[in-house]
Amino acid sequence: MHGRSAGDGVRDLSMNYTFIHNGKEYSVELKRNGDNFTAQIGEVKFNVTNVDSEQNIMVFSLKDIRFAVYHARTGNLHYVNIAGENYVYEQIVGVSYKSTEGGGQKGNSVSSPMPGLVVKIPVAVGDPVEEGVVLAIVEAMKMQNELRAPRAGTVKKIYFKEGQQIDALKPIVELE
Amino acid sequence: MFKKILIANRGEIAIRIARACRELGIIPIGVYSEIDRTSAHLNFMDSAYHIGDSPPQASYLNIGRIVEIAKKAGVDAIHPGYGFLAENTHFARACADSRIMFIGPSAESLALVGDKVASRNTVKKANVPIIPGMEGAGKEISSFKKMAAQVGYPVIVKASMGGGGKGMRIVRCEKELEDSISAGQREAQSAFGDATVYLEKYIEKPHHIEFQVMRDTHGNVIHLFERECSIQRRHQKIIEETPSPILDQTMRMQMGAAAMKVITAADYVNAGTVEFLVDGNKKFYFLEVNARIQVEHPITEAVTGVDLVMQQIRIAAGDPIGIRQEQLAQHGHAIEARIYAEDPENKFMPSPGMILDLREPQGPGVRIDSGVYKGWDVPPHYDPILSKLITWAADRQQCVARMRASLREYIILGIKTNIGFMDRIMATEVFKKGDYHTHFIDENIHELMPAYDHMHAALIAAAISASRGTRMNIVTDPGSKQGTTPWQELGAWEICR
Repeated sequence: MHGRSAGDGVRDLSMNYTFIHNGKEYSVELKRNGDNFTAQIGEVKFNVTNVDSEQNIMVFSLKDIRFAVYHARTGNLHYVNIAGENYVYEQIVGVSYKSTEGGGQKGNSVSSPMPGLVVKIPVAVGDPVEEGVVLAIVEAMKMQNELRAPRAGTVKKIYFKEGQQIDALKPIVELE
Repeated sequence: MFKKILIANRGEIAIRIARACRELGIIPIGVYSEIDRTSAHLNFMDSAYHIGDSPPQASYLNIGRIVEIAKKAGVDAIHPGYGFLAENTHFARACADSRIMFIGPSAESLALVGDKVASRNTVKKANVPIIPGMEGAGKEISSFKKMAAQVGYPVIVKASMGGGGKGMRIVRCEKELEDSISAGQREAQSAFGDATVYLEKYIEKPHHIEFQVMRDTHGNVIHLFERECSIQRRHQKIIEETPSPILDQTMRMQMGAAAMKVITAADYVNAGTVEFLVDGNKKFYFLEVNARIQVEHPITEAVTGVDLVMQQIRIAAGDPIGIRQEQLAQHGHAIEARIYAEDPENKFMPSPGMILDLREPQGPGVRIDSGVYKGWDVPPHYDPILSKLITWAADRQQCVARMRASLREYIILGIKTNIGFMDRIMATEVFKKGDYHTHFIDENIHELMPAYDHMHAALIAAAISASRGTRMNIVTDPGSKQGTTPWQELGAWEICR
């Protein structure tokens, strides 16, 4: 899809893209002008020239500095490598991203950031727990991860048993 | 010489062993777990056998099944690689009972050196200095408490059958002791199939320096110099180099001689590694014997020119080593960076998932031992090692520069890796000087975090990519059974039009 040149009827279109990187939100307003773009991030404007991309490599210039960027995406996740630095962005599509402030839902349960094996659940339903107490131990890639209570509370529900295989980001233990 | 060898391992080391087999005219036979059906190592084998479900206990640690397959395939020998069953006495014995040569030391020497407690006692008798600690595996919590009080905190709890930092816990006060022991036991059980742990004095800020040794069935013994392995995270080496920047020739020869004493005392045959801790006063202590080919063996190969895996196979077949100590020298400098699927910004949390793009560095003095490919889903069941990047150059400074340039060339997208982290380590003054101890990463973790200097350019690239809905870059998850729809392929610009 690369290599479309000016004159194909796509002009002056402005799109806004929102990405999350390490919990921080970034917005990029992208305007296409033939093979070039203008991009605005916050207050800063960039002229993006000489854009060319092939397979997973994208080349462009910003203020006469040439960047060769490796990128790939799967779903809403964008992986970008630039001069040895790696960036992982989650693209927010559709509804605007709601900050976690006042969300309230976060912190009620623990889940594993990756698939693994539930090795131990040292708590039972009804147990009062302090903040930082281990609620579950999950093993993945030969490493045991201790999942600790994000706050003090009472154990409301336990979704898995010891010895069970779990998926990433599924609640294991929920607090009241 | 053997005709067929079964390689009881996976990933990069299985491929490394298969290459040595090929060069020796031996047929390599592979094995795989359920999730490893599509793993890279199988492409290097003449035939491959399914050995069980994905968890290691059901497959790569399944002694009965592996021996059964070895008999069925009609192999003469089994190479265990590293990890899994590499230092498992029961496995070595099961091989011997089935008249299959285990490529490694005998079950008896394995039992001796693989058991950290027994090996400490043997080494002590051979007049090689050891770290003060337990002379027997601890059973009662009281025996741990007693020894800890005797040698003084901090102490370290270690898996008796362990290696690679698994099952290891540093304990700074008595209050932490009991929890650390049970955590160590659980990890040891899972990683080695044996929950035995013991305790010794913990030496603060040591250098971890090991010697490659080799002994044949004719009693010839040589050492192939040292590897400096002090760059560690979670007690696991991630960067190794040889020669060690802190050893002088006198100390090198003393430690080499001690290493040879250790394996001779243990009547150890085959390639092995004698690990030492070196304290702030450059006093060295025997740490343990690693009775296997090591992850970091390529740097020794780079400076000595000796193919260690081929030597392992020859020694197991009864050949003499054929190299005399005085013929060996260290030529130039070599460094290895272990490339892991993990997130250094998040406590080195493993990061399994699909590799969306992969570009490996090339050029003079660059070697890659890799076990992955583009489009492969890195499974969550095993050690997160993806590959090893090894550079060689005439001197250390050039070798570091070559490694850093190669890391810059190494592109892996789709999962998190430690590639950038490796480069940031090598950019530090401490690493450049070469005088670093095993706590280097812990003490400098904040300085080792990425600066994200190119955030704007990276965001722009992501936005342009998003604007195109680039069909060619989307690798669909084969597990999801959903392909991309025509709408997804069109992308935002086309929809706007």
